[in-house]
Amino acid sequence: MRTTHRPNDPASTNASTGTRQDAGTRQDAGTSHEPDTATHAPAAPARGRGGSILASRPLMGWRTVDLLTIAFLGVAFGIAYWGYDAFYNGPISLLKIGFLPAWGLFAGPWFMAGVVGGLVVRRPGAAFLCEVVAAIVSMVPGNAYGATTLVSGILQGIGAEVAFALLGYGMYGIVAAVLAGALSAPLEAAYEWTTWTKDWPWDSKLLYLGAMVLSGAVIAGGVGWLLTRALARTGALSSFPPGFELRDSRSA
Amino acid sequence: MSVTHDAGLRHDTRRFEESPRRPAATPRAGEVEVRGLAWRPFGRREPILRGLDLEVPAGQRVLLVGPSGSGKSTLLRALAGVLETVDAGELSGTVRVDGAVPGTRAGAVGLVLQEPGAGVVSATIGRDVAFGLENVGMPRADMPARVAAALAAVHLDMPQDTPTHALSGGEQQRLALAGALALEPTLLLLDEPTAMLDPVNAASVRASVADVVTARQLTTVVVEHRLGPWLDFADRLVVLDAHGTVTADGPPATVLAEQGESLVAQGIWVPGYPPPQPRGIPGGLFTAGALGTGVVALDAAAITVERTVRRLDGSTRSTVALRDQWLQARAGQVHALVGPSGSGKSTLLLALAGLVDHEGIVRAHPELAPHESRDPHDWGTTDVGRVLAWVPQLASSTIVAATVLDEAMTTSRALGLVESESLSRARALLGLVGLGHLEQADPRHLSGGEQRRLAVVSAVVHQPAVLLADEATVGQDRLTWAAVTGVIEGLRDAGSAVVVTTHDDEVVARADRTTTLTRPVQASTAPAPRRPLAARAGPLALVTAAVLGIPAGIVSPHWRTSLLVLAAQVALAALALWAPAWGTDRRDRGPAPRGRATSVALRMVPGLVGAVSVGWSTWLLGSHNLSVAATAGLRVVVIVFPSAVLIRYVDADALGDHLGQRLRLPARPVVALAAALQRVHTFGDIWTEISRARRVRGIGATARSPRSVLAELWALTIGLLVRSLQAAAALAVGMDARGFANAQRRTWAAPAAWRRPDTVVALASLLPLALAWWAPL
Repeated sequence: MRTTHRPNDPASTNASTGTRQDAGTRQDAGTSHEPDTATHAPAAPARGRGGSILASRPLMGWRTVDLLTIAFLGVAFGIAYWGYDAFYNGPISLLKIGFLPAWGLFAGPWFMAGVVGGLVVRRPGAAFLCEVVAAIVSMVPGNAYGATTLVSGILQGIGAEVAFALLGYGMYGIVAAVLAGALSAPLEAAYEWTTWTKDWPWDSKLLYLGAMVLSGAVIAGGVGWLLTRALARTGALSSFPPGFELRDSRSA
Repeated sequence: MSVTHDAGLRHDTRRFEESPRRPAATPRAGEVEVRGLAWRPFGRREPILRGLDLEVPAGQRVLLVGPSGSGKSTLLRALAGVLETVDAGELSGTVRVDGAVPGTRAGAVGLVLQEPGAGVVSATIGRDVAFGLENVGMPRADMPARVAAALAAVHLDMPQDTPTHALSGGEQQRLALAGALALEPTLLLLDEPTAMLDPVNAASVRASVADVVTARQLTTVVVEHRLGPWLDFADRLVVLDAHGTVTADGPPATVLAEQGESLVAQGIWVPGYPPPQPRGIPGGLFTAGALGTGVVALDAAAITVERTVRRLDGSTRSTVALRDQWLQARAGQVHALVGPSGSGKSTLLLALAGLVDHEGIVRAHPELAPHESRDPHDWGTTDVGRVLAWVPQLASSTIVAATVLDEAMTTSRALGLVESESLSRARALLGLVGLGHLEQADPRHLSGGEQRRLAVVSAVVHQPAVLLADEATVGQDRLTWAAVTGVIEGLRDAGSAVVVTTHDDEVVARADRTTTLTRPVQASTAPAPRRPLAARAGPLALVTAAVLGIPAGIVSPHWRTSLLVLAAQVALAALALWAPAWGTDRRDRGPAPRGRATSVALRMVPGLVGAVSVGWSTWLLGSHNLSVAATAGLRVVVIVFPSAVLIRYVDADALGDHLGQRLRLPARPVVALAAALQRVHTFGDIWTEISRARRVRGIGATARSPRSVLAELWALTIGLLVRSLQAAAALAVGMDARGFANAQRRTWAAPAAWRRPDTVVALASLLPLALAWWAPL
């Protein structure tokens, strides 16, 4: 029985504006009555900077539904990556005949799993886990890159996680999404500098990094943020902060 | 057996008040006490339950009924202690099972959910039953006895390593029951366990429940809307009204005698009352059809359909879904397809609609066919939408619009029909089925029955010549049943051909023709081939070996060294793919596997393309030095080759065990990953179902319109993600009911040993790396 988290009800009347909610303690901790199925009145929503609603406290208290949602989202993205893999290695590989560092512009979708995972669940490790699960699922049936997919997924996930950590796990708007998408690129680019693009001249390598950062920011960050909002509108995120924010904006 | 009714509605949130401790008498096993339970999820203005009081003595069997929205599922979840697993809200009142809060002892309350397979966690049935035992930390040695006892109790006699995806709906529900029983509950809760099953499977589940409850003296609460089969089982009938308060409570016969009529009026299927009458469609709503009565609108001859399922390891399994079926759909007639589940009824509808590849011939009447081709399979989406309508089993997968009215008007607008006429027809139909007041609501927020009614209305607004409805009335209450059959018969009377698949005797009785299908004979499966040596290694060793290709490629300084490394890799690959008939394991017997080298070559093609393009890019951007380019290209090959050989043999089902036990990663995320990996094969089904529904409604993607392709991709992505989120939420309830929420320290039912093949593989894969490092240029 989940006993250690408080609900976030944006419709609560005693919401405090803009201040971070301290980690709530269970109401019956130390009180004399016997613990109940749940004994709480609606709590003020935990809000971070910029008004994003945060996940329930404690932040590392992953609920079962959080874990399963990250796993299922990762699997869904991994399956989508099978299709994108065929596209990436198929038609547009012809582009490689042209201006090659522009190849990095197609890297954005690979980072989307981490960005969306972080935006939906809003807990430390969410972005990393989602990206790694997507990498595992896209690797296991046997894709073009094999084990390097896993390494890439880990590096991209770390990058997205670092972005959310830099914002103190408190901001989850478009800025956070763009930053997470952008920061998924550097470690991945550094890895590719040692494997695929090792012998390129440095200016091409840097252009490649720049293209990946741009693609990550726009596609993974921008489209990922839009995707999260579209999912919230369908009602599928009603137990996650994006769903709470939607209810908030509708009741306002 | 005392029950206090809560007469008034309570709107204010009640804070928990200190309740006096109960007297010292030990409660008997399975005693339930609910006082003042009230629940309002955030986001809804009205509470679902308002101060419900209920007492159930130990061993009693309660049948809980009420209209949809009356809070029956909410009450069950509160009793199981999983009410806040997914939803957040205001909860007040007390719930006690055996005097303790539900969830204090994991598994004290067993919960079986409505959708078969929603709570499946593992690849095999034995492992799935052991899930709850793992969560409570039972030592591995004690598990087999409990698992065997639970499976025997529900009469699942198949071997314990039977894959869970191979079970029928009824067997999956019995598996869920066994999973709950393994934890030895005192209270058993069943949330519409047979609603989505055909009569044969439903009967088997009911029999299992009766056996189990009698043998173990469990207190039971069953929620069902078809009362007939459960009346013998239940001691007590509790009726909730639409506001979540108890309106009747007592022995079933008494309650039905008093309240039978009002229950029927609310839509509950009460035995002894006449079946519902389909709601009549006013004349003139539909115009006369193009074909005369009895004319064959759609003709299917010798249809054979093979279904292939892609498994996570990349292999495919194909089964014959339909063999040599003939059907004629005639205008002005309802044609019912009946047969056991697995007999291919849904597949026949798909073949008729041209939504699935098939052998055999499907022909539409020449007046309906747009141009030369008479097979709907070849038509464009607009033509398909104009002539055919298809309503799938899961109505929510067809939702495309933001409001109910737009949803109903989708096909008419896509076909370019006169807006005013379609609008009035849509409004009339929505009013007839009881959705008139929800015209501006979001279809995704409707209940299952409302979505079903909306799907049927959306399919007929444009008056298609042929309506194909897949299980249109399954799991429906009387009111929805009457609405759906009314619309179907109204369309029939207007001259369209209707084909429905059904298990419902009432629908069959009202049909004009019936065709019975039987399960198709499967081509005899060849014995499984032997597994190669690589498959004997565990997933961690294989992934490590594949990852070691990366430093081997990076470290190699020159293309000549890379060639040497590659030669070593190829030699090791030949060894890894060798499949000798050693060993006692049954996977090592059987014919030699075919096509190992071919599949490696096929998997290497993208890698080789990548190698060429990397070499080319290096040559172009670098110093136009062929040697450097060759090194870069071969580096890619060295990195990618081990993966092409080995990753295919990673056992995804065992991956979770190895990650958790060998690498000691946190248990709960690993188990969540393993459970999600089981669902990979279902995601492909969701994808195809959504794209089929869009094609049939006239909004499918066409090559001519890139905008339609993008819209379809977006809709498919959102649809896939939404379904996966819903599946995650349903599974979370099932897993928490079996004690997963607090299972930080859990045990593992299957060992994940590091054996000799693993060491061999890991050491062997160091060889190319060593060569790359030390080989002379």
